[in-house]
Amino acid sequence: MKKISLFIMILLVGITVLACGAQTTTTAVTFDESKSINVYTRDTTSGTRTGFMEGIGFASAATSDSVLVQGFIIKDNTGILSTLAIDEYGIGYVSLSSVNDSVKGLNFNGVEPTEVNVINDTYGLKRPFMYMLRQDGDYPNDTVEAIVKAFVAFLSSSDGGDIINNSGAIALPSTQTWDQIKSSHTVCTQNNAAITVRFGGSDSIQKVAQALTAAFMPKCGNFIAEHDHTGSSDAYKRTNDPAIKDTAVGKDVGFSSRFFRDAELNVNSSLRGQLAWDAIVAIVHVNNPLNNVTAADLKAIYEGSYLTWAALLSK
Amino acid sequence: MSKNKKRMIKDGILQGITYLSSTVSLITLLAIVLFVFGRGYKLLNFDLIVENFESQGYVADLFDDFIFCDCPATIDLSDDFYYSEKWGIALSDGTDLLGKNIIEIEYIHPDSPFKMVQDKGIGEEPIILRTDYDIIRIAFEDYPTALSRYGAKNMIDSLNANNSIREIEFRTKGGGVRGSILTTIYLIGMTLMIALPIGVGAAIYLNEYAPINRITKLMRSLIETLTGVPSIIYGLMGLAIFVPLTVNLTSATGGNLISGALTLAVILMPVIIRTTEESLKVVPDEYRQASLAVGANKTQTTFKVVLPSALPGILTATLLAIGRIIGESAALVFAIGTSIKDDVSLTGKSTTLAVHIWAMMTDEPANIELSATIAIIIIFIVVILNIIIKIISSRYLKQKMGASS
Amino acid sequence: MPDTLNYYQKNNSKKGLIIDRIAKNIFLSMAILSSSFIIIIAGIILVRGIIPFTTDNLGIGRVSLLRFLTGNTWLIGQTFASNLYSIGFIIASTLFITILSLLISFPVGVLTALFIAKVAPPSLAKILRTVVETLASIPSIVFGLFGAGVILKIVYDFSALIGYQSKGGNSILSVVIVLALMTIPTITTISEVAIRSVDQSIERGSLALGASKTQTNFKVVLSSAKSGIFTAAILGIGRSLGEATAVSLVAGGRRSGFSFDLLDTTSTLTTIMLEGLKETTGIDYDIRFSVGLVLMVVILLTNLLLNAVKRRVGVVNVKE
Repeated sequence: MKKISLFIMILLVGITVLACGAQTTTTAVTFDESKSINVYTRDTTSGTRTGFMEGIGFASAATSDSVLVQGFIIKDNTGILSTLAIDEYGIGYVSLSSVNDSVKGLNFNGVEPTEVNVINDTYGLKRPFMYMLRQDGDYPNDTVEAIVKAFVAFLSSSDGGDIINNSGAIALPSTQTWDQIKSSHTVCTQNNAAITVRFGGSDSIQKVAQALTAAFMPKCGNFIAEHDHTGSSDAYKRTNDPAIKDTAVGKDVGFSSRFFRDAELNVNSSLRGQLAWDAIVAIVHVNNPLNNVTAADLKAIYEGSYLTWAALLSK
Repeated sequence: MSKNKKRMIKDGILQGITYLSSTVSLITLLAIVLFVFGRGYKLLNFDLIVENFESQGYVADLFDDFIFCDCPATIDLSDDFYYSEKWGIALSDGTDLLGKNIIEIEYIHPDSPFKMVQDKGIGEEPIILRTDYDIIRIAFEDYPTALSRYGAKNMIDSLNANNSIREIEFRTKGGGVRGSILTTIYLIGMTLMIALPIGVGAAIYLNEYAPINRITKLMRSLIETLTGVPSIIYGLMGLAIFVPLTVNLTSATGGNLISGALTLAVILMPVIIRTTEESLKVVPDEYRQASLAVGANKTQTTFKVVLPSALPGILTATLLAIGRIIGESAALVFAIGTSIKDDVSLTGKSTTLAVHIWAMMTDEPANIELSATIAIIIIFIVVILNIIIKIISSRYLKQKMGASS
Repeated sequence: MPDTLNYYQKNNSKKGLIIDRIAKNIFLSMAILSSSFIIIIAGIILVRGIIPFTTDNLGIGRVSLLRFLTGNTWLIGQTFASNLYSIGFIIASTLFITILSLLISFPVGVLTALFIAKVAPPSLAKILRTVVETLASIPSIVFGLFGAGVILKIVYDFSALIGYQSKGGNSILSVVIVLALMTIPTITTISEVAIRSVDQSIERGSLALGASKTQTNFKVVLSSAKSGIFTAAILGIGRSLGEATAVSLVAGGRRSGFSFDLLDTTSTLTTIMLEGLKETTGIDYDIRFSVGLVLMVVILLTNLLLNAVKRRVGVVNVKE
């Protein structure tokens, strides 16, 4: 009796595991155009969403869900990638650096999403990575200020550009190497291991910013970089907003993944600038026959004018 | 006969249903373990546990008087390695613990100019290039930089096409979970330091001192109600009370380990009180009476007689609490935050293993593999804890049975 | 006995008595502290939760409570610039999901408990008990990971099989499965204790009357353990209602519309609290406390209701 029951249990388990295994290997290859489009998006706090919606001319959808098509699906970055590897009829968007072979990246307005096309300004679906500094003389001490100025110089050097490109963003063109300009930043020849520089702002730029500081630390006396990224609007607030900049959350360098606007533009233009571009790519399932979309197509999909794939593909 | 047979069939079916039901749990556990191991085993190694999340970077240059190696490798190199005879260095493509493409140093010939390089930073000692470093980039004069994302082949080709380099950047491997493990341990320690005395004290009061009246009953039901509060609500409470409190009192700037520990302590309170009380209840009254009878006062009795006998129960409560701390995610997302850090300090932001998974799942870059690997570590710890609890309780049971017989 | 005790206690030094009193008061204060946490939690959630309804939210305007509780769109308009929040459809889907997951986890959990306690041979029972205990202690985030990596795909393939276009598997069904799998061990553990504590004599009586072992198990044992099994169900419901991280990975973040379609996306009270929380001031932050408040009320009401039912069911229970 005991043995029989054990045997039955093991058999059942075996069958189920096999069944599960078999099921995961079956995927249809035909693409049914009559299916409706499953629209995936990030939530309203995401900088990628702002960049995408503004890029397709649908800025009101950056911070509002109610203008989007009925029945859209909110997922985070990992979720969009992993679900679009499964969902044949879905469409979503991620940063160029996140795109991999499990999904299909679409051309935008006929231009392929490549670094070259972003730099030569033909690929249009992109957002800037910006930085903002504190007012001159408003740093914890002179060494921090000198390191920050050196860091900004490094950002525009080809060495900084290499690091930006290596982390998936697209650097602005530059001609000088750090070696050529470092002589004007003597602070980097001393030991700065006791100096902490505070970086903050947009969290979608965090990985790039961390790669940059990690590369710059050995170049500038091993100072310590403290990263605390909370959101693009904090780039201004935590460096220049009088109410916040001197509190515990104050920062020496703030990053933003959108252009500065409104009150942020009051900060002297020498204290802010762009360091890179980040391309956003619309992605679909690998079985999807679609290769190219226009801004108008994407807007039509996201606002609900195109509900089925046929509506888009037959166009 | 036919009626009997019918009944037997019916019984058989019913019994079959219970068999089927119990396989559900078995299958679920198997499926979870299979999934987690299937996805995560690749990254599971000792490095993951001891490595920092952030890596240490170096920038260096060749010595001015270097000479080319022009030497064949002295050992057999795998087919996946790219070897430059000119420079005497072999590289390969790999992925770091975050799943990002990196270039690994596989072999350096003893005569290679890369054997020892000149620190371009402030360090004065030459750096010995080790095979456990990753190369980030090699820059040349008037030649495109070889970046790690372009792969090892490109880097070797670039090296072969040049007669000198401008600089080489390399780093230790990053992506480890050492910081999150440390945070988890810190949190366990701090939470228990707060929750255990209060919880055990409350249990002692309820079991040893409390009069049987309405107020005691009310206290019990208030504590009992805590168990029904979802952890996300505890998280909101931590966010609304403990985070501002610690920000005002300490140098913290947001969610921190102290606010996390305080929140967890409240979550664990009912578990600790209930388990302790249950173990206090089984301490025979004769012990107390005997102790009082030999002249000990009530406090002495409590601390020297009752508590020691209830120790296994309290230990079980502690282990249950540890399990809960390791698994908690929703409350900590609010009460500490999700930033992954290597420098763990009480007032800093850093995060536990479970929230590390949450952060990996919700943040860029997308990473199911590392999440699964951390899940393996968590499941491993939890299973060990379970086994210890079982051993303690079975020992305890035996002891008690031995004492009573 | 009490007399001798009193005698010895009187013999205690005065110092001992003072220590006793101090100790007692310390323990008392700890007990009061522990029991006051629930009041603090309820208080803070209440105070923060009603801010959107009582203030004009820095010029955005008051949130209408009625609209909040009954509406079918989470937010109309721009985040941080609109007061048109509603969670009516989310409350409905939360309850719907909880009931459905209980419909799976309750029978499976109770039958597993019966199997372990009464049917299975001892060695198998021991193995299964370990399995259930391990499952019970696996953190919810791991269940979420499993859900996102496995269940989404199974649900997607399943719906394709029946000709339905699922949204990547993100659906009520996926949430229900994840929750059911999470609550089965809870229900099993507590039911097993209840089933074990059923008086042997009741069982023997049933067997003596000619009922088979299986009939006894199903008709007599289960109904005698009713009260305990009901407690298990209540705890299971509590766990389903309160689970956040695991659910948010498979729910799909529905933002509008009452929907009871098993294969369509959904949101629960917990996922809406967890999603997109980045800022720490403003209406979009405060409203999460309001959702938390609603969640607390929902849990409280469910518990009251279930306990009332339990009392009515439990009366029939014969015990010792």
